[in-house]
Amino acid sequence: MVLSKKLWRTPLDAEKISLPKAEISIQPDLCKGCDFCIEFCPMKVLEKSDQPNKRGIYPPRVADESKCTICGFCTAICPDFAISATERKCKEGCENE
Amino acid sequence: MVAEKESEEEPRIGVYVCHCGLNIAGTVNCEDVAEFASALPNVVVSKDNRYACSDQGQETIKNDIKEYNLNRVVVASCSPRLHEPTFRKACEDAGLNKYLFEMANIREHCSWVHLHDKEAATQKAKDLVKAAVSKVALLEPAVETEVPIKRTALVIGGGVSGIQASLDLADTGYKVYLVEKEPSIGGRMAQIDKTFPTMDCSICILAPKMSDVGHHPNIELLTNSEVQEVKGYIGNFKVKILKGPRYVTDECSACNDCSEVCPITTPNEFDVGLATRRAIYTPFAQAVPSTYIVDRDLCLNKEGVMACDKCIRACEREAIDFDMKPEILDVEVGTIIVATGADVYDPSILPNYGYTRYQNVITSLEFERLINAGGPSGGNLIRPSDRKIPESVAFIQCVGSRTDKGNQYCSNVCCMNTIKDSLLIKEHWPDIKIYVFYVDIRAFGKGFEDLYKRAKEEGAIFIRGLPAEVVEDRKTHNLWLVGENTLQKELYRVNVGMVVLSIGIEPRPDSDVIQRLFTLSRTPDGFFMEAHPKLKPVDAPTGGIFLAGCAESPKDIKDSVTQASAAAARAGILMAQGKVTVEAITPKPIPENCKGCGLCARVCPYNAIIVDKEREQVEVIDAACAGCGTCGAECPFDALHMRHFTNAQIIAQIDALTETGADKKIIAFCCNWCAYAGADFAGVSRMQYPPNVRIIRTMCSGRISLKFVEHAFSRGAGGVLVAGCHPGDCHYIDANVQTQKRVEKLWKKMQRLGVNKERLQLLWASAAEGERIASKIREMQAKLDVLTPEEIEKSKEVFAGS
Repeated sequence: MVLSKKLWRTPLDAEKISLPKAEISIQPDLCKGCDFCIEFCPMKVLEKSDQPNKRGIYPPRVADESKCTICGFCTAICPDFAISATERKCKEGCENE
Repeated sequence: MVAEKESEEEPRIGVYVCHCGLNIAGTVNCEDVAEFASALPNVVVSKDNRYACSDQGQETIKNDIKEYNLNRVVVASCSPRLHEPTFRKACEDAGLNKYLFEMANIREHCSWVHLHDKEAATQKAKDLVKAAVSKVALLEPAVETEVPIKRTALVIGGGVSGIQASLDLADTGYKVYLVEKEPSIGGRMAQIDKTFPTMDCSICILAPKMSDVGHHPNIELLTNSEVQEVKGYIGNFKVKILKGPRYVTDECSACNDCSEVCPITTPNEFDVGLATRRAIYTPFAQAVPSTYIVDRDLCLNKEGVMACDKCIRACEREAIDFDMKPEILDVEVGTIIVATGADVYDPSILPNYGYTRYQNVITSLEFERLINAGGPSGGNLIRPSDRKIPESVAFIQCVGSRTDKGNQYCSNVCCMNTIKDSLLIKEHWPDIKIYVFYVDIRAFGKGFEDLYKRAKEEGAIFIRGLPAEVVEDRKTHNLWLVGENTLQKELYRVNVGMVVLSIGIEPRPDSDVIQRLFTLSRTPDGFFMEAHPKLKPVDAPTGGIFLAGCAESPKDIKDSVTQASAAAARAGILMAQGKVTVEAITPKPIPENCKGCGLCARVCPYNAIIVDKEREQVEVIDAACAGCGTCGAECPFDALHMRHFTNAQIIAQIDALTETGADKKIIAFCCNWCAYAGADFAGVSRMQYPPNVRIIRTMCSGRISLKFVEHAFSRGAGGVLVAGCHPGDCHYIDANVQTQKRVEKLWKKMQRLGVNKERLQLLWASAAEGERIASKIREMQAKLDVLTPEEIEKSKEVFAGS
């Protein structure tokens, strides 16, 4: 079972695997800029926005939504209930359904 | 302790000169030699005998021991490698300790190699007897120590070899720890679709054995685990095993609910990357244990940060536990079986075959996964480029084997594997055209030739001559193979839909770690070396350790299983006996001389010497020591008493041999296993060489202290030869590395002192290289012939007092 060689092929079942698509909603004005979500997101989905919110600080924005695994960690650690990731209901916009 | 023995009663020596029919007496005047021996110091009785090894010959010795109250015996006959046990037994029968016996080899090293020079041969025989008499007078009685053997075994590696060895030992009734570093046992065999030559489904015959291992009351299965440290010696190994956490408890029912919700995917190693797995997974359906495992390198949950709890929520049995920690297990075992398996050759380094550049060039291991009904393509042999079944397939043999570009050796299994694969294709898709490009087809095993014939009958086309190059057609992704058919002496250019590279087997990249842990040796190929290629094929050179499967050399499943059962039997013998005796040739430290410097411990290949820095003393673990004596040669303070090969005994031999006509003689120090055996082989083959050489046997060339060489020169010896096993072949792992260092050191010294360094020669010769030894002696003789008396005097002078 041991394989030291690097695996270079695209797995044959790669496109068959459908992972739930994420929908991330951010309420910029609730954010007070602790950056926990950006820092702790395991998939590095978020980045700092260049638009300040009403409070004058820079909230997070989505850099690459497709990378989100909806682990929900951002939702859990946000002290201001400003961010949530939910599964996108696939009426339109989900190619694999 | 040593002094006590030396002060024992005066030696009373009996000498027996054997005629061996005319084998010895045809060249050597045996009566003359016996008469000569009778005048040597301490010799009480000296006789010649037609056949000393016969019952009658042995009876004479036994009777004389009683009648003359002999306390030492010398037999001048054949090689001690042949009959030493016989005569030792005879001595023991007559109540004499077997360590008070010595042989003079006047057949292989004398009569047979100097057939036409009777006078010189007789003179040489006298010298050899004199040396033996000098040594025997100094021999000491010894009792072999007994070491208890723990009735528990450790098996490293859970491939088919490790599985078989574990089951055999466990069924015999011994407790077995089976350590596997992967999450499941099964090894390579689990990946393979069918076996040759019987076309059994590989996993179907393996899975029941895997399951037996999982359920066996005598087997403790440790997967995801690695051996970290091995201490101790035969019968008493103390092993530290690092058991990695699975993060899933035994509560797991392998329902796959966790895996389905896991958001992380990666290519699955088991399917050679042709299918996907999740971060929480089981490597394959039949895995043992079936408990899932979390790949923490991929999992979103890092140390201290729990980001994702999808699997935890999905698991109804609450079997997922991210708080699991690695465990260190300390186990004590009596025997160890190393079945660590092998790796496969990586063909991506061969640019001409285009592996990793061309999608449709696959390896034979990828083929196994594709043709397997449980594999990523459901058993359809599809081309990766378009997922279509190809119209033609080419196999290229010897990829990475039998070549200067890869490994020099034959990988053993690839020919038959390809033949099996071609039949599998024909079975499913009879219309696929099959080409096999080969160097030689090696179908040597039981049922192999039949399978080869069948493949040809089914229409597989065998072409001798590997393609020089594989080129892809960019539109169709078909492949052009260009090369020469060496049977018909014509060039070929073949177009196929898919190419299978029949990749070879190579040692695991971490073999050096295993080698260090278990003090093993490796052949130049990199596989672990057995103690004897013919008669101890599953024993490692280190006592209590055995080898099985591809770790020892490339082999198929049947051979792996055979070897595993053999290793289990060998380990079982030790454990059934419950004890082992150690030959009394291990060193005894002399406390008053020892400074605790630890030089000896540094050169010990077996880690058998423990330095007590506080007391400034060393301690020898007899059971771990193999008796090479390289420690004794290294010690500058004479603080190690090398039993049966003591400094005094070897010096006495040198003195005896250099008493007369030293300037015309070559003193040769030969290791028991290679050089001495090689000289024996020269004798058996009747290779003739000059009679002026006198061979002194030690267990290892590592025993040869520079003192001995210098002493020989101080006594006026014309030349000195130090001969041992080839580097890498040393019977004592690498003790002969020290030999080389020492000889090189003395060469420098000789140059500095103005002595011709050519007079000291170093030779590596195996037990089969009699001619190598003979020609070295001829070469040295030629140098001896032109040696001037002044040169002899010079060396006597500069080494005086050595």
